[in-house]
Amino acid sequence: MIYTLMYGLTIGAILYFIAIGLSLTFGTMRVTNFAHTITYTIGVYLLLTFVTQWKVHYFWAAIFAVLAVIPIGYLIERFIIRRLYGESLDYTFIATFAVSLIGVDVVKWIWGVQPKALGDPIRRYIELLGFTFPVYRLLIVGIAILLFFALQLFVRRTMVGKIIIAALEDREKVRCLGIKLDKYFSLVFVLGSALAALGGVLYAPITSVHPYMGTSILLLCFAVVIVGGMANLKGTFFAAFALGMVVAITARYWPPGAETMVFIVMAIVLIFRPIDV
Amino acid sequence: MKPENRDIYELLIIAGSFLLLVPFLHTHRITDFMIFCIFVLSFDLLYGYMGRLSFGHLLYLGAGAYGAGLSLRHLTANPLLAILLGIAAACLLAMLAGLIVVRATGACFALINLAFNQTGWFLVMSPLRGITNGQDGFGIGAMRLGFFNFGSATFRFWFVLITLLLVFFLLKRVTSSPYGVLVRSIKEDETRVRFLGYNTYLYKWLTFVFSASVAGLSGALTALNYAYVNPNTMDVHKNVGAVFACLIGGAGRLYGALIGGVVYMLISNFLPLYVLRWEMFLGLALLIIVFRFRRGIWGSFEVWLSRAAASARLRAQSGKGAPVK
Repeated sequence: MIYTLMYGLTIGAILYFIAIGLSLTFGTMRVTNFAHTITYTIGVYLLLTFVTQWKVHYFWAAIFAVLAVIPIGYLIERFIIRRLYGESLDYTFIATFAVSLIGVDVVKWIWGVQPKALGDPIRRYIELLGFTFPVYRLLIVGIAILLFFALQLFVRRTMVGKIIIAALEDREKVRCLGIKLDKYFSLVFVLGSALAALGGVLYAPITSVHPYMGTSILLLCFAVVIVGGMANLKGTFFAAFALGMVVAITARYWPPGAETMVFIVMAIVLIFRPIDV
Repeated sequence: MKPENRDIYELLIIAGSFLLLVPFLHTHRITDFMIFCIFVLSFDLLYGYMGRLSFGHLLYLGAGAYGAGLSLRHLTANPLLAILLGIAAACLLAMLAGLIVVRATGACFALINLAFNQTGWFLVMSPLRGITNGQDGFGIGAMRLGFFNFGSATFRFWFVLITLLLVFFLLKRVTSSPYGVLVRSIKEDETRVRFLGYNTYLYKWLTFVFSASVAGLSGALTALNYAYVNPNTMDVHKNVGAVFACLIGGAGRLYGALIGGVVYMLISNFLPLYVLRWEMFLGLALLIIVFRFRRGIWGSFEVWLSRAAASARLRAQSGKGAPVK
């Protein structure tokens, strides 16, 4: 049971990394970003190339991969997302979906369709209260919690963070204060993309790597965002871990149903709290 | 042309256009095209007319296919009854799911449908494997009832063509009725419709169920056409095809749905033969549609037609008003 909880925490942490970008993009720009996990997939493949072909150390490879997706995130924001401000949700949805189609195809083009695997980079275990935990998973959960507090600090203490939070509440009023929001929007988008890539880079060693990996996890992340509330940073954090637990516990007792259970939870949440977007 | 005969002429034109395709393609393929057109029509009712984008409409196609396939396998040897049972399966499923999904709007609507589609796909793949035979699917035999011989490709072609015309006629009537106007006003501004005293949830639910039933019909026809059902019929990723077809033809126009359906089928059937990266092509085409070509083929045609008519009228007027020497 302890191992199940550990697994749930790991999944929750990964979901948190990815969902935070979705939630922020939605809250500030009102764009439902289907292309969000494209940076996740690309980040993972870059990591794979760095580690297996260029023999870079895992730690540095991870940092380079996250940094390398930043320009990609910026390009997507500049040429696609920025044209979609104020559009109806259908068009933003279709356009970002088109971006994700193109992205997945590019990944298939460059790296091929065969699933690949990366080993656990730390390969150490820790003994705690009679249980052995892989250090790597503890590290993922640690980074997620650290990120949560860092983000809280960022939005409370820095001017940029305060502007972003204010824009989540009411964009028009922020604009009336004479603040040019476009710059902050691209910052939010790039931050979200980089965090998604970070999630991918951390998750890659314990999952299989294939071009459609982004699409499958994206659905879970949408569920997280819907359960936690769009544009709600704390809600996203708790929803991510709660749904991670749902996945882990279902996987223990009924393995094939793990992901479907998340959607059932989401449907139940929506029955009691409909979301008008 | 008398106005009351207009419907008949329109149906004849549609039937004629599909028959024109016959010399160029196989009959089997055109049957496939027409089934897809029925599905796009059902999707257009939901997206083009009611303004609710669903990324999980294939669930109802799958429900229709499995409903028809399973009832042919276990319940009855009557293919027409099986089609009805397939529609009923999709309809019942939509009645239940509709209670939840119509409460959402915009992106949530699309995502919840997507989640339901994924769940349905998973149910068919894994927990219900005993009945549905999981990934392998199952074949259907004995599809003959007197004159209705679904074993023959020619009969299937005519049957599907007539079904398509019926569906088109029905949808044309429905969308131009007061109910259809109400559905279109929900797309424009739901709050105002509610202010007028209409229970919009009821109308959205009805439209959703209706659209899903038509999708179920196309699913049942798919099952009969291939004599085979497998989970690929409700693969979540294929939903983009319907969206693409609807947009390129012109959303909110029944003719647009037909043209879009044929264009999408032509692209997806023949482009992969020549272009390896056809998903990228589809993505780029979607981007172009969203940013530059929102009216679609039929919408642009209508605009061109009305412009031509306006300029013709202008010419006629100036001709009349010109001073006589």
